[in-house]
Amino acid sequence: MEKIKFIIDGKEVEAVKDQNVLEVAQENGIYIPNLCSNPEVKSSGGSCRVCLVEAHQNGRMRLVTSCNYPVREGLEVKTETPLVKRIRKGILELMLARVPDAEVVVELARENGIEEPRFKKDEGDNYRYKCIACGLCVQVCEEVVGVSAIAMLNRSYEKKPGTPYMKPSEVCIGCGACAYACPTGAISIKDQGDTRKIWGKEFKMHTCSVCGKPYIPEAQIDWIVETTGKDRSFFDKCPDCR
Amino acid sequence: MAVDINKIDEIISSHERSEESLLSILQSFQRELNYVPEEGIKRLSESFGVPESRIFAMATFYKALSLVPRGRHTIKVCMGTACHLKGGGLILEAIERELGVERSGTTKDMRFSLETVNCVGACAMAPVVVVDNEYHGHASPSNVHNILKKYE
Ligand code: SF4
Ligand code: FES
Repeated sequence: MEKIKFIIDGKEVEAVKDQNVLEVAQENGIYIPNLCSNPEVKSSGGSCRVCLVEAHQNGRMRLVTSCNYPVREGLEVKTETPLVKRIRKGILELMLARVPDAEVVVELARENGIEEPRFKKDEGDNYRYKCIACGLCVQVCEEVVGVSAIAMLNRSYEKKPGTPYMKPSEVCIGCGACAYACPTGAISIKDQGDTRKIWGKEFKMHTCSVCGKPYIPEAQIDWIVETTGKDRSFFDKCPDCR
Repeated sequence: MAVDINKIDEIISSHERSEESLLSILQSFQRELNYVPEEGIKRLSESFGVPESRIFAMATFYKALSLVPRGRHTIKVCMGTACHLKGGGLILEAIERELGVERSGTTKDMRFSLETVNCVGACAMAPVVVVDNEYHGHASPSNVHNILKKYE
């Protein structure tokens, strides 16, 4: 691993070549707002654009998304210039108009001086109302879970995650990783008794033999047993009672 | 509507079994079956080992692919700037009334599918209606009937 040095907000920092700017900033206690990138998901990031910063290199400056911009020797990053603030504000204002119910977006917009967008707010009544169409849920389902039950459907302003034909998916295991990863809490997941409902499909939950709490969908156990060869009896007890 | 499974399999097997063929197979479905059937996506997913969600997403991405059967003829009403100013909206309404079908819909007898497009590059003839690949310029609500009657 090749170590390099570069400058971020006037401070010289050390990093591994090709690490992304956002990650290095966080390691050095510099806050850059971000929504769609998740360090556990390689294919994530680059979509919401709230993480943008100024990247100066070879006498030129570009606005880049810090979550997927690789650090290099000689790079200088500025995270809070008037330009960055102005553009980020614009992005957040549009986003707020799009998903006025998404708490994180409302909060981020407020931090950046926006209470009310000047644009007409979107209306809707389903999960899409909070969705910023970043694609993280789909990336998690494909890359981390390995199931690809959902994909980004349609395009442009109609883009949204969903299952084929918006029907209960044949391959979904009900793990809920998509809902957990979603930055805006846009995916509805409901656990009631020993049933979980997600993406319009119901899953029977497996109950812990000690505390009696339903804690994991049967379908997820099947999937883990099938793909990793783990012994089924491992799931008799929930993580708290193991 | 019953889908022709043999036809689907025939289309799939006439292409190379690689991810790059996916789009052209979907286009073949569209061309030969007039739409991309659910069964086609399923079988394609099974035989290529590509998740169904990904193929479905592809089919929703391209305007040229339809998930429901299309009519024998496609009407495109231009809504580009020039046509819009020259009353493209009224033409659209007239066609909707004439055929009893809404924008993006297909008539019950499968004769026509109605769509709107943003500029077909024939602004001098505005407002324009394109049926299949024939351009009808200077359309008006009153000659809509005449334009459509020759298509069976
Ligand atoms: S549901 Fe959440 S994770 Fe998925 S695209 Fe929408 S905002 Fe992103
Ligand atoms: S966090 Fe970088 S683009 Fe969304």
